Amino acid sequence: MIEKKKNKNAYKKGLNLLEVYPTKFSESVVFVKYDGPVDNFSFPFPDKKVEHIIVNLCPTEPWAIPNKVILRNETPDFLNKLETVRAKYFPDSHCHVVVNYQETGLVNEFNQYKASANRNSSFAKGEFLHLHTMEPVYPYDAPVLIVKNILGLNIGFDQNTIDHGILILDTQTITGIFEHYIQKTEFNTRLISISGTGLNENKILKVKPGTPVERILEPHVKAGIKYRVFLDGPLNGTEVEDLTQKIDWFVKNIVVLEERDYKTPFPYLRVNELLFTTSLMGELRRCVYCNFCDDICPVNLEPALYWHCYIRGEKHKARLYGLEKCIECGLCSFICPSKLELLQVIRECKSLK
Amino acid sequence: MKKPFKNIETIFNKSLNSIETFIQSHPKVNFLFGAVFEAADGLIRSTKDTAKNPPFIRSSMDVKQYMGGILAALFFGWVVPAIYFYGFMCVVPKLIVSFVVGVFIVDVIWVILAREERINEGGFVTCLFIPAFLPPQAPLWLIGVGAGVSILFRNILGGVGHNLVNPALFGRLMLTICFPTMVVSGWQEPFTGIPTIESLMYGVDAVTHATPLIVFKETGEVTSYLSLLFGAGTGSLGETCRIALIITGIWLCKKRIANWRIPVAYLGSVFIFSAIFSLTAGKTVAPPIFQLLSGGLIFGAFFMATDPITTTYSQTGKWIFGIGCGLITVVIRNFTPIPEGIMYAILLMNLLSVPIQSIILKMKYRV
Repeated sequence: MIEKKKNKNAYKKGLNLLEVYPTKFSESVVFVKYDGPVDNFSFPFPDKKVEHIIVNLCPTEPWAIPNKVILRNETPDFLNKLETVRAKYFPDSHCHVVVNYQETGLVNEFNQYKASANRNSSFAKGEFLHLHTMEPVYPYDAPVLIVKNILGLNIGFDQNTIDHGILILDTQTITGIFEHYIQKTEFNTRLISISGTGLNENKILKVKPGTPVERILEPHVKAGIKYRVFLDGPLNGTEVEDLTQKIDWFVKNIVVLEERDYKTPFPYLRVNELLFTTSLMGELRRCVYCNFCDDICPVNLEPALYWHCYIRGEKHKARLYGLEKCIECGLCSFICPSKLELLQVIRECKSLK
Repeated sequence: MKKPFKNIETIFNKSLNSIETFIQSHPKVNFLFGAVFEAADGLIRSTKDTAKNPPFIRSSMDVKQYMGGILAALFFGWVVPAIYFYGFMCVVPKLIVSFVVGVFIVDVIWVILAREERINEGGFVTCLFIPAFLPPQAPLWLIGVGAGVSILFRNILGGVGHNLVNPALFGRLMLTICFPTMVVSGWQEPFTGIPTIESLMYGVDAVTHATPLIVFKETGEVTSYLSLLFGAGTGSLGETCRIALIITGIWLCKKRIANWRIPVAYLGSVFIFSAIFSLTAGKTVAPPIFQLLSGGLIFGAFFMATDPITTTYSQTGKWIFGIGCGLITVVIRNFTPIPEGIMYAILLMNLLSVPIQSIILKMKYRV
């Protein structure tokens, strides 16, 4: 039954990455000691009036921090903080909390909080709080898609959501604003998840922003292998070229992948060994019209068309096929059986004005 | 058990690595055998390429698995039933000749002479098609010529990713033009005259019988549907056991290797058009279910029309492609003297898929 469901969900209009790469984090949170200079928390409050705040509690990527670590069974407490922040800095705005539809416990807690808030307080603060459930399918939490699903607004990929009066916050930023600006307490640590095939164990770390990546990873990396480090996930994140780079307040997670730059005999017998490494897992070929990319595309584009334009030398023609709608989630490159660099092609075509 | 295997594997891996470095350090050896080694190595080991651009993880599906899926489906779809119906000696020598001539002679020579593409597994798929759509009594040299022509044509176009029309069907077209009597005769009845080694040289002394479609054209007699479905009727080597072809075809669609739109559009349109024509034109047109189950329609719809690169890229275009194939098939079968029209239908629609694709794109993005 589970197998069946997997096939049904896995490859249609977005990808359920949580099922493809199940990642387990160890329960305890480890504190990383660092005595060097530390970045202090600051939040750039927008100049524009904020009408909607979207809080995403539904991570769609397996390497993201699980909710239960951040909330620690104190959901009402978190919602109180959210309410305080909203009342103080973004009055008259609506709060939209997005929750994974499978997490019924969280949904119940939320509903209880809302009911008690309506009952207890003289002013209806529950009125500004909205709950939305979402399937944990990558990349449904991308700003463009989350705004479209929740508010029904169409915003472009290159537009800033603030221009539309929408502020997208994550849980740790809300806690940060609450503790730093309202309670005026010292707030200088951040939870970061580290995972991947290059590590001995997937862990959740408490890190002071300003700590170099090297120092965070040092005790956890497997010995004797080549590895590459990515910030915010290998799908649409960035690669860390220089390991002395420092963690800032926007880093959500670090993924360390094994670099398999040698040939593996009988790869079809040991797919699990190659899975979740940087290996291309195949040869570069030409497009075979398999339609995998347009089946998986979350915004209904046909990415192979851009590649056809590109390979013909007609980059400027890619704009004719709805290129501006692309949200650069990278799923087309991920799924392509010919291993074409579709995301790279799309970015090159986009940069051509 | 596992440890000795691991040791053998390391030695094997090391020796392959040393052969690779040897070949790459000697340009003349590389010129002659580089591509052959690369092809063989590619079947055994994974590539060493890693992702240089985002996304840095890739799915495990690659074109090799894609083609391997088609090969597996073809094997269980027609090779196994054909061995059951016509005997081991009728099928296996043909496959060997097809592979030896197609892949190991023509493909290898081509790659040595004009080394731009590496040898890839698409050649196996083409060569596995060749015996399937020739009659069971086709001589071995005919299979060899067919495989050679197909692979040569495929390599001239550029192989997987460049094919304009299905190379295997093009090979059969050439055979139909050059040796018309051999391609459309020698329909042996299953379970009779299982060949021996001697008979390979002189042909089998078996009962031949016209295919159901020819019988219908001549006498108007309709063969029983059950015998058509389970392969007791006459026909080409690979097309008779329709139930196996349907099961493997559905498996291919489920694995998303074959696009389900094409078989559905093709078979559906054959059913609808033949129903319309048989209602209007009367008895000269075969009944719809008979049309679905006779000839190479099931084989063509699931395996030939879905050949990935020769259709349109657009999904809507795939519906039009399938419907066009169905219409041409019904028209050729019923209103021309030729009994079977799958090959012409698919070849013609392969060529038409280029304009269909551009029309669909214009309608979708520019209107």
